[in-house]
Amino acid sequence: MKNEEKGIYFAEGLAVPETPEPGKDPKPWKETNVVGKSRPRVDGYERVSGSAMYPSDYSLPHMLFGAVLRCPYPNAKIKRVDTRKAEQMPGVRAIISAATPEARVLWPYTPHMKVELFDSHCRFEGEAVAAVAAETPYQASDAVRAIDVTYEVLPFVTDERKAMLSDAPKVHPAGNRVGPTEHYSRGDVAKGFEEADVVLEESYRTECEIHTPMELHGCLAYWDGDLLNIHESTQGVYAVQSKVAEVLDLPLSKVRVMGRYMGGGFGSKLQPGKYTVIAAILAKITGCPVKLFLTREETYLCTGNRPASNMKLKAGVTKDGRLTALDFSVVGSGGAYPAGGTLLVDWLVKDLYLCPNVRTAATDVYTNAGPARPFRAPGHPQGAWALEQMMDALAKAIDMDPVALRLKNIPSYSQARKGNPPYTTTGLAACLKEGAKAFGWEKRRKEIAAEKPNGSLRRGVGMAACLWVAGGGRPPSTIILKLFSDGSVNLNMGASDIGTGTKTVMAMVVAEELNVHTDVIQIEHADTGTTQFATPSGGSKTVPTEAPAVRRAAIHVKQQLLEMAAEQLKADVSDLRFKGNAIVHGNDDAKKVTIKDLKGLKKRGVVVGVGYRGPNPEGKVVNPFGVQFCEVEMDIRTGEIRIVDFLGANESGRVMDRLTFDNQVFGGITMGIGLGMTEVRVLDEGGSGKMLNKNWHDYKLPTALDVSPRMTSFPIELPDPEANITGAKGLGEPVTIPTAAAIANAVYHACGVRMTETPINPTRLGVMLSDRPKEA
Amino acid sequence: MLSNFAYVQPQSLKAALKQLETPEARLHAGGTDLLGCLREGIFGAKKIVSISGLNAFKGVRETSNGGLRIGALTTITQVERHPAIRSRFRALSQGAGEVASPQLRNQGTIGGNICQKPRCWYYRGEFHCLRKGGERCYAVGGENQYHCIFGGENCFIVHPSDTAPPLVALEAVVRIVGPQGTRSVPVSRFHVPPSEDFRQETVLAPDEMVTEIILPPAPSGLRSSYRKVRARRAWDFSLAGMALAITFKDNTVQKARVVFSGVAPVPWRSKEVEVAITGRRLDKETVARAADAAVREAEPMEKNGYKISLLRGVVEEELLAAQSGESPG
Amino acid sequence: MEFDETKIKMSVTRRGFLTTMGVGAAVAVTGRYASGASSDETVMLPEEMAKIRLHVNGRVHRLLVEPRWTLLFVLREKLGLTGTKVGCERGECGACTVLMDNIPRYACMTLAVEAQGFEITTLEGLMKGEDLGRVQEAFLEHDAFQCGYCTPGQIMAAEGLLKDDPEPSPDAIRRGMSGNLCRCGAYTHIFEAVDEAGKRKRGKS
Repeated sequence: MKNEEKGIYFAEGLAVPETPEPGKDPKPWKETNVVGKSRPRVDGYERVSGSAMYPSDYSLPHMLFGAVLRCPYPNAKIKRVDTRKAEQMPGVRAIISAATPEARVLWPYTPHMKVELFDSHCRFEGEAVAAVAAETPYQASDAVRAIDVTYEVLPFVTDERKAMLSDAPKVHPAGNRVGPTEHYSRGDVAKGFEEADVVLEESYRTECEIHTPMELHGCLAYWDGDLLNIHESTQGVYAVQSKVAEVLDLPLSKVRVMGRYMGGGFGSKLQPGKYTVIAAILAKITGCPVKLFLTREETYLCTGNRPASNMKLKAGVTKDGRLTALDFSVVGSGGAYPAGGTLLVDWLVKDLYLCPNVRTAATDVYTNAGPARPFRAPGHPQGAWALEQMMDALAKAIDMDPVALRLKNIPSYSQARKGNPPYTTTGLAACLKEGAKAFGWEKRRKEIAAEKPNGSLRRGVGMAACLWVAGGGRPPSTIILKLFSDGSVNLNMGASDIGTGTKTVMAMVVAEELNVHTDVIQIEHADTGTTQFATPSGGSKTVPTEAPAVRRAAIHVKQQLLEMAAEQLKADVSDLRFKGNAIVHGNDDAKKVTIKDLKGLKKRGVVVGVGYRGPNPEGKVVNPFGVQFCEVEMDIRTGEIRIVDFLGANESGRVMDRLTFDNQVFGGITMGIGLGMTEVRVLDEGGSGKMLNKNWHDYKLPTALDVSPRMTSFPIELPDPEANITGAKGLGEPVTIPTAAAIANAVYHACGVRMTETPINPTRLGVMLSDRPKEA
Repeated sequence: MLSNFAYVQPQSLKAALKQLETPEARLHAGGTDLLGCLREGIFGAKKIVSISGLNAFKGVRETSNGGLRIGALTTITQVERHPAIRSRFRALSQGAGEVASPQLRNQGTIGGNICQKPRCWYYRGEFHCLRKGGERCYAVGGENQYHCIFGGENCFIVHPSDTAPPLVALEAVVRIVGPQGTRSVPVSRFHVPPSEDFRQETVLAPDEMVTEIILPPAPSGLRSSYRKVRARRAWDFSLAGMALAITFKDNTVQKARVVFSGVAPVPWRSKEVEVAITGRRLDKETVARAADAAVREAEPMEKNGYKISLLRGVVEEELLAAQSGESPG
Repeated sequence: MEFDETKIKMSVTRRGFLTTMGVGAAVAVTGRYASGASSDETVMLPEEMAKIRLHVNGRVHRLLVEPRWTLLFVLREKLGLTGTKVGCERGECGACTVLMDNIPRYACMTLAVEAQGFEITTLEGLMKGEDLGRVQEAFLEHDAFQCGYCTPGQIMAAEGLLKDDPEPSPDAIRRGMSGNLCRCGAYTHIFEAVDEAGKRKRGKS
């Protein structure tokens, strides 16, 4: 979209949306000129040219490099830290440990559980013991290796299934329960099972998954007197600011956090780490900027994970496909500190399908392993792994199509929330019906049923559905929009663009409202020093949170322009409207002024619009829904699986940018393939308790050859005028929730083996196949 | 990050051999495995002796009798793509094509590939295991899902190379140069099983190096192939794989060399399969018998029992394909 | 058959290989070694900085390095070429992919001293002033990234792939791009972008 000859405004003739009176909400866009189209990213040039500066790319004069010494044991007490040798090494400028006065600060693992930054009791492998600043990263790592630590190695428990045993070593003095088991119940489960024609029960497990974003976790920290500056790879600069300020006891205004570009987080960068504070302390002590980015191996140990889930699900269904009861339990661990080891794992069981009788129990335990951090749709993919495989099995048991079974149990309201509030829209049925049609679900099932086996190859199709508990966005958000006298715009927003295209979507909203080219919109964002307060980008809430505030800010600009025009044209504001690049009088087209000729704008040089995020609709729930379909081809001799096709049908309200929308869908599926087929954290449970695969070779992410060569994004765009003033709901989480379960269902369809544990690959599937009775 | 070391780039083979006499000197060819090992601290290096500039050991040439001589510094990509290897020694081309990732194939050398250090995560990790001079093999009773089902004794690694099994199947010979001169060792005897010495992967002495790999001429009627199963479809080592070199006469197996990857500490020649198929047509019955024979001697550990059914599957599939001529070599 | 290296004329040398691939090496390099014309072996001591010469994006840089410094570290922290990214420093992600004599390699697995004599191209070297190269353009237009951190490596891998195989099949694209992880999972758009870039390079669109 290059600037046109005429200037920075779009061509005449394009409608400018109506401008509501001050204090009133705008109506939903009827037709859009920009929103909903495929718009390459506004910062695409920077990202492909190399000019985008990620936090790890910054260098400053006199900059030092930090490195952290970490405890190699899952449970140990530190008896002595001897830094004498390390201090004498070339290039070393500072070494800090528990003995360093400046480092004697408390780190809040939770608001209620604070430990010393360098705690003498290391409860997981990878806990920080000491840190170094040196002139090169090589020297820093040499010095870390030269620090001599005496540990008292303690017994440990790393498997959450063993943490509850009476003889399990205690992670904390009070024992290994994070709290009492959380129970939920509605209706009468026993009665529900009695009413069922078919009752099935199954155990499921998903393995622990590590975020491993491409950019390492870390920051560059430096001080200007009492002002601490931090360039951090983060999903939320204000979240980093508040925690660092709390730990170092600084006023918020004295912690400036910048994170304009960042190389992925998936939840693991919603918060800072000890490393952020360590860099700040090293910078203070040395008087030099300190760049401290973790090694890849360290990120596996101490920057979070999606906990393993051990689930049981019993389900009842009538012959005609009505769910009568669901009874679910889960045991999980967020590691050595409270971190939501079972958070939201039961949500889909409680809320996705109509079911009057539901009971769930969630037991969260401590283990000697790295604390969890939220991971894309916390709990949901795990819950979907159980629930959606169960739905598949129920459908088979009552001889019903899996899509049809789900269609019989569509809720229009949230059953798990108090008062059963209705959803603003329930796209689930549309995703199922239209998605199935687009994928050719019934046709393919028929074809496969009629197919003769081709040697050892078998085909199968599978599907799974989801909702995401959040994704409606919420206050707060504050946006400042500056319209300059030439019609170009500066958008000021605190939120990070974590790769989802946030900046691009916001620019499109501005372009839509103001009828300007996205090219002339400059975005300042993710800087606590210069941009507005925002909550971290995550939970599929960024677009529905920020976009309405952006729209309001743009409307605020328009309102001011109308006032200026009213003064200039000596007319009443209510008689004026935008037409092309001008403001015209309703009755008299000749009475008009182009925006550039507005005297008020010329005089002031700028019009500043402010937009806030309004409240969500009262008594209603705004959730996105999604369904995925896939086809696999598997070799029943070896257990190798090739995914040949994937389709994601997502109802996330209005599609803002089709290009980034599709990209999210494909990316979510790819990550789900990882959970389902390749990713497992391996701890040496029977021996050292150490993580054995803390690298990208042994911990396997899907590669270009592991994803489906065919992927289709099929948006289900239901108008949702109640959700917010843009009609957009979140997308980033629902796109990854059903993937693993859909693959498992397709594998079952192909070979009749029910994979209840991740990952589905030859290491697990081969045994299952050979155990199964031989086919004729 | 890497610890420090001295670095030399000798300009001749002679000078390189001289440099290798330094205690704790390490040879650098492509460097991909060496730098990984140094980062993990598996061993130290006082001095790195880089032979990457010795152009005489790069490339492939024909021998007078119809075989090939492959310089040890020939990259894996070059081996994969060489027209003569593709057409006459297909198993080797296929094996090379299965190695790691495109970038690593562009950098890693064939000499380095057959000299790789094991990928066992205890060996690569912070464990002072038997192979590193410690007391025990941690895979015993540990996380042994990727370990061996054949030939384990004391140490239970699998050999990571995808080119060595085809080279054994194709009866290749390694040329080794050291201070005492030159010697030739069949690739089938180049790797050292832990039952003989659990501290050493190959017969190379610290001051020796591989300079060439020599492929004897391909007999007429040879069909060779390499098949590898892994947990992910790229950039991963073999869970179980097989190199085949079968000479057919009138659709009957006249001679067979069958070598497994991913299941043993060395490229594992399966005489059992060879016996089961020699002199026979590869019909369903023979193939099923061969698959049984393939795993008869297997001794799985607690967590790698899947390799048995997997290996059976690979053997069945590849033998059937060989008969149907789907993998002509 | 006695070994005599002087008698062996390998049919394909490194440069010969490039020529047969239809790719001309960009610059004539006289020697592989820092010391230039001298045939003496290069010796670098662990505690000392040694002088090396790198050809990067058409320019020659003379630098002092430790023998253990990787090409990745030198590009980013000494030459300021931060387009090349750090992902793992273990050859397991591809974020640091650069071209060395037009062949994609991992800068993290290459010692800086070993990179002498090669023509090294980084993401910055694909730019023509402020204008993007064709692969970069295609990546932008097809939204072939999300966070963008693996993108420089992906683009360099694609450049290498297209130099080697100007008309890659879909399978060849997937295989050629299989040495670069993308945790955001933008692979589908990456495949489209590489295909499109190939077409543009062939002058078809």
